[in-house]
Amino acid sequence: MPPIITIQNVTKEFKVLNRREGLKGSLKDLFSRDYKIVRAVDNISMNIEQGEIVGYLGPNGAGKSTTIKMMTGVLEPTSGEILVGGNIPYKNRTKNAQEIGVVFGQRSQLWWALPLIESFKLLKDIYQIADREYENMLEMYRSLADIEPLLHKPVRQMSLGQRTLSDILAAFLHNPKIVFLDEPTIGLDVSMKSKIRELIHALNKEKNTTVILTTHDMGDVDALCRRIVIIDKGKMLYDNDIEHLKGFFGSYRTLKIRVEGILTERAEEVKAQLPDFSVSADEEWISVLVDEERATVMEVLNQLRSSFDIRDMQLEEISTEDVIKKIYEEGVE
Amino acid sequence: MKLKKYLSLTRIGIIESRQFRLATVIMVIGNLLYLIVVYFLWKSIYASVETDVVNGMTFTDTLIYLVLATALFNFMEMYAVWEMGRNIQSGKIVLDLLKPIEYRRYLFWSYSGSFVTQFFFTFLPTFIVVSVVTHGAVPLGINLLYFAVSVILAVLINYSIDFIVGTICLYTESIWGINIMKQVIVLLLSGATVPIAFFPEPLKTVVYYLPFQSIYNAPLTLLLDGSPTLETVVTTLGTQLLWCVGMTLLGKLFWKFSLRQITVNGG
Repeated sequence: MPPIITIQNVTKEFKVLNRREGLKGSLKDLFSRDYKIVRAVDNISMNIEQGEIVGYLGPNGAGKSTTIKMMTGVLEPTSGEILVGGNIPYKNRTKNAQEIGVVFGQRSQLWWALPLIESFKLLKDIYQIADREYENMLEMYRSLADIEPLLHKPVRQMSLGQRTLSDILAAFLHNPKIVFLDEPTIGLDVSMKSKIRELIHALNKEKNTTVILTTHDMGDVDALCRRIVIIDKGKMLYDNDIEHLKGFFGSYRTLKIRVEGILTERAEEVKAQLPDFSVSADEEWISVLVDEERATVMEVLNQLRSSFDIRDMQLEEISTEDVIKKIYEEGVE
Repeated sequence: MKLKKYLSLTRIGIIESRQFRLATVIMVIGNLLYLIVVYFLWKSIYASVETDVVNGMTFTDTLIYLVLATALFNFMEMYAVWEMGRNIQSGKIVLDLLKPIEYRRYLFWSYSGSFVTQFFFTFLPTFIVVSVVTHGAVPLGINLLYFAVSVILAVLINYSIDFIVGTICLYTESIWGINIMKQVIVLLLSGATVPIAFFPEPLKTVVYYLPFQSIYNAPLTLLLDGSPTLETVVTTLGTQLLWCVGMTLLGKLFWKFSLRQITVNGG
């Protein structure tokens, strides 16, 4: 089966007016033709298969939303090719819309003043969902979450968590091939986050829906995504399995020790002893990022014990968050 | 069934507008105040001239015309410019663009529900009250049919103008000024605030070549003229139809062009 989404050498450039400062500058801007070209997305390629959950990550302003907008057909790529379910999204936006669902974290597509069920009924007609499919879908929703109290509650009276849940259900209602979730767990409490994750996971499993998820919450990534794609400054940094990512940087562990004296000063001495590793200190711990390919944690610990009186120690596995942070900061070498 | 998805939007619009009962009450009160102002304003205008008939209209004629124009305004004005502008500013428009319905139609049908409720809750009661109070000064006959057709065309023209102005918001990203400007121009040049019969001659000529008079003047003329000649009916409705098609096409093309700019250059 061909991939559901094909992105080939896609670049997106924006023309941005160079604004000048001050009142005089703003008047001059009225007639200015002084544009600069900003490259929001730079030569990205990827294929996404039906049924995958892909975590699409990157720091703020990396070009994530731009890529998603191109996939949904709201933006047209400057160059390169995108195919979504066989359609060119920006040319067949309306047709493409039938095949996709979207949830943008902060915005709701639901009818504010009305009970949720009214929004569902309307979406049923707009997307021309057959009665039986609609009933089946609601049946499935009932089995996944406690939606009965939500259905008859006006959307404006819902908590943020309930609304997000409802929005996700609304996006899956017409059984789209692909659902784009843009920061779905933003601003939610821990238990709601896990509910939402379970729901997304279950919907993906039941309907084999492809899910593209952007998030800043590594908990989402760990819970849902097998594959992650990282972009920064418009360039693709990483596209592979999450295990592979950990393997990539997994030879690093953080050794934390506590010694006598002022830690920031003692950290300098540790640094002198371990010139190969990065050492940092805060009020509680001196942290050493140990590259286990060069020396094991035990070796480092023994070496430190010979010259320091270690009071306490901790060993931290590197988390997805650390890896991503490292990639954001240094890139993949 | 294709029509179903549009009618479903009408349906939800009706339900939604019933959610805001208080708003309806306040609107009715606001209109009453406006009509009181209109009454005394025109009373003093008629008192200041010697004759009973000014520009071919008696005081009663003028008042009936203006009351019905206000009722028509409540029913036709849908503040689409506001809605578009707000959605553009907040970015919610992206969600609307991702519905499997063309945006222009989506917006129109989203409003259609409020047409229906406003028709029954403001226009019809006003119309009945006016006919009863004036003891049959409003002719009831075949003209009602012409009026109905004319109003539908007027709604479409009005929407197209709103849609075009709303599209401008894509460029300006500000709404307030543009909307106020649009409203003043439309209300004045359409004959909603002052009957076109009162306009000075050169302006009258200009106005007849503009689309605005097709919104309020045309349906009201057909309604209040008891036995319009076939020629009047055909020219009035024909002009409306031409404007309707023209403005719709213009709106469609302008939107398509603007949206392309946006998808190419980003918003």
